[in-house]
Amino acid sequence: MKHIIKIITLLVAISAFWIGLLQASVIPSSHTWLLPIYFIVSLGCYGLLMVGVGLMRFPTCPQEALLLQQDIVEAKDFLKQKGVDVGGSD
Amino acid sequence: MELADRAVGLLLTLTSLSIFTYYTFWVIILPFVDSDHFIQQYFLPQEYAILIPVFAGVVLLCFLCIFIGSVMLKSKKKKA
Repeated sequence: MKHIIKIITLLVAISAFWIGLLQASVIPSSHTWLLPIYFIVSLGCYGLLMVGVGLMRFPTCPQEALLLQQDIVEAKDFLKQKGVDVGGSD
Repeated sequence: MELADRAVGLLLTLTSLSIFTYYTFWVIILPFVDSDHFIQQYFLPQEYAILIPVFAGVVLLCFLCIFIGSVMLKSKKKKA
């Protein structure tokens, strides 16, 4: 819930800054009108960047996979001792 | 498989960084450069700075809608 308040505050601040720029007309208005689209494009770029970085350093843990397989074998043995049909008795 | 994923990730990162740099130059810095400067010939006119993102967004939205529709149709067929 706190995160969304932060995002809304940021959005309000950015739009206030933009409206101020529009009213003050320091720079030509045709360029000020580009700023929201610039904001959206930069948001898209940020999303793409995060996906790329996450894909680049995707954590894989082979040791954990080995441990998991060991656990499975152990559990199957234990259940077989107790007389439970595990299925797929390989 | 892992290497291909890494390559795709690197490609995505590079693409997004280059788009961001180019668009920043185009929208933020170019209005303050003289219109007869030599760097102006590497950029399209300002109208395209609006048209291209809007077009890309519309294409993306259409693609998403088609994808969702096809997935829903497929799941319906599987259920029947």
